[in-house]
Amino acid sequence: MATAPQIPATRPRWARSPFYFNSASHLLRIGREKAACLQELLEAIRTCPDASIFQHTFQTLEEHHFIKEGFSNDFSHWAFAACNEVELAERLSAIDIREFTSIAALRERLVHLIESYLQKNPRSGTRPAMEPFYVMAADLVVVPTPYVARNLEEFADGLRKVSIHSIYYHFIDARLRLKLNTSDFSVWLEQELDLHQAAERLNRIDIYTSTLEGVRRSILKIIEGEIARA
Amino acid sequence: MKENEDKDKAVATDQPESGQELKTQEPSTSGPPPGQKERRFRTSELPPHFIERRKHPRISTEPPPPPAPPRLADYAAIIGMPELDEIRFLARHLQGKTVKMVNSTAVGGGVAEILNRLIPLLNELEIPTRWEVITGGNDFFEVTKGFHNALHGGDYNLTRQIQDIFMAYNEQNRQRMLFTEDLFVIHDPQPVGLIRSRSDTRGRWIWRCHIDLSNPHAGVWDFLKPMVEQYDAAIFSAPAFTRQLAIPQYLFYPSIDPLSEKNRELEESFINKVCDDFGIDRSRPVITQISRFDRLKDPVGVIEAYKLVKKYVDCQLVLAGGGATDDPEGAVVLQEVIDAAGDDPDVIILNLPPWSALEINALQRASTVIVQKSLKEGFGLTVTEGLWKQKPVVAGAVGGIPTQIVHKLTGTLVHSVEGCAYQIRYLLTHPEFAAQLGKNGREHAKENFLITVNLKRWLLLFQILLGMAKPSKTI
Repeated sequence: MATAPQIPATRPRWARSPFYFNSASHLLRIGREKAACLQELLEAIRTCPDASIFQHTFQTLEEHHFIKEGFSNDFSHWAFAACNEVELAERLSAIDIREFTSIAALRERLVHLIESYLQKNPRSGTRPAMEPFYVMAADLVVVPTPYVARNLEEFADGLRKVSIHSIYYHFIDARLRLKLNTSDFSVWLEQELDLHQAAERLNRIDIYTSTLEGVRRSILKIIEGEIARA
Repeated sequence: MKENEDKDKAVATDQPESGQELKTQEPSTSGPPPGQKERRFRTSELPPHFIERRKHPRISTEPPPPPAPPRLADYAAIIGMPELDEIRFLARHLQGKTVKMVNSTAVGGGVAEILNRLIPLLNELEIPTRWEVITGGNDFFEVTKGFHNALHGGDYNLTRQIQDIFMAYNEQNRQRMLFTEDLFVIHDPQPVGLIRSRSDTRGRWIWRCHIDLSNPHAGVWDFLKPMVEQYDAAIFSAPAFTRQLAIPQYLFYPSIDPLSEKNRELEESFINKVCDDFGIDRSRPVITQISRFDRLKDPVGVIEAYKLVKKYVDCQLVLAGGGATDDPEGAVVLQEVIDAAGDDPDVIILNLPPWSALEINALQRASTVIVQKSLKEGFGLTVTEGLWKQKPVVAGAVGGIPTQIVHKLTGTLVHSVEGCAYQIRYLLTHPEFAAQLGKNGREHAKENFLITVNLKRWLLLFQILLGMAKPSKTI
């Protein structure tokens, strides 16, 4: 009886350039502006540094990475909790930072939303908030990690081991760095391993209805699926 | 099923809420340890030894020997190796750089407690850090106590003589100390005048302000501000505590040490022993406020809230704290608390000595809900301790508490006795929601309020001020 030919174990596909996992540590700076009502918040958003817009939209997602409900940025949370302006809070909350590849565009969107709300509700502009909004900014310092991936197995291993701050850095913060609606992970999968579909599936992971640990699990599930298919 | 029904009946009251059947369940965050038989009884059925312990709690009379400070590696189990690796990486570039930290007291007080933990960790990371304490006569410390109260908004008569006393002792300390380090961290207003040595050094100077400057006495602040503005950076504990300054201001939340006596994990048997010593019945919900006996902590308001809760849920209230032995006003407040409790045996009032960290830890861990109903507050580290122990926390929306409690996500914020009572009732009758708050609260504390996070902030600030790290070009 002839035996079936032995299929050689699949060799992992090697990336042309390895993926270096980094992380980012941040230090909060207290800004000069603070807002005691919505009109003042609008003014602060118009004039504050880019780093402050970044802090209250992108960075706050990392700081509250364990929460998967509630308002998705500091402006919407303040509009709800301190100003009791539920409609505005909902509108601000619907801003999806993944659609923005520049702070200028994000700032413009915030200004437009608040301006149009105040046009319809002029009394809301000067009504004192229960507590002020303090404008902050973050200084980010990139920290290398010992994890490097040259193939999917090593990539999955790195994903399991790095801190949640590294996931944030590559998956969320990267959008502004790359100026693209994608992440470092997707770019590497696409450019280095030609895994276009996997890269696209990564980009569809919802960061607002999941914790960052949940995001890590979703990424891993996609990568493990690719490994099993290889 | 029958057993569960009986269980509910024992804890629940006879009064349904808003016409609905009140489903009171055993909160998941407390209760007897696995395998231990449950004891359930109403107050009137309390065995005599509980009553006796409540009248005469067993409170330790001698401080235990202090434990050895933890090593950095000991935190790996809590924060994970990747986080620890990031700290080590940040420290690597700073190895050999020297730091001097100066404050006004070596023992007692929150600052000394923080430095006692932080400095060994910096030294372990090979960043030689020296801690010096300023000295002064009674006249100096009377002035600095006056400044402290004035900076919190109290009245003060700032005379020329007072300014001279303050500056003379700062000058005396300046002459006594050597300023050869790369970084100088001056804590709080007392030693702020050491900045006059700045021109003799090449180091960077940081002013760490631990107090709330949101409403300072104008004269005292105007006197201190020109000195503060000579520093390279200032650090505050909450955005609300700051003033407009011409120098960069950073936010360092105060932190707790998860390995300290007050916060480390405890054996269930020890928690039971402490409860037994104080006459706490672990079969019924325990509401706890840990605070010194001070009107600003509103202990009487907590008793009023408890009385409203008690109409619906059979529970106990523990008010534990210190300050009633060495502070005459504390003794008066303690008496007010005893009077407000009346003859309710389920209000357990404990005036604990300063060495009761382990007992406080056990009380917090035995609690079903932790309350901090302050009317005015600094940062509120007792809230942080409750969050870290994964407890649902109900707290007044004052001082640094809203920074820690995102309403209904990491705890609940209240503004009145009635609000406090409602939130406690809700948490006692919705254990799943209480457990979720506890879980989120612990993550929030882990992410922002642990000593390891604080250590990382120091390393980042040192790198930035020494020009060794440039913030990312992301934006």
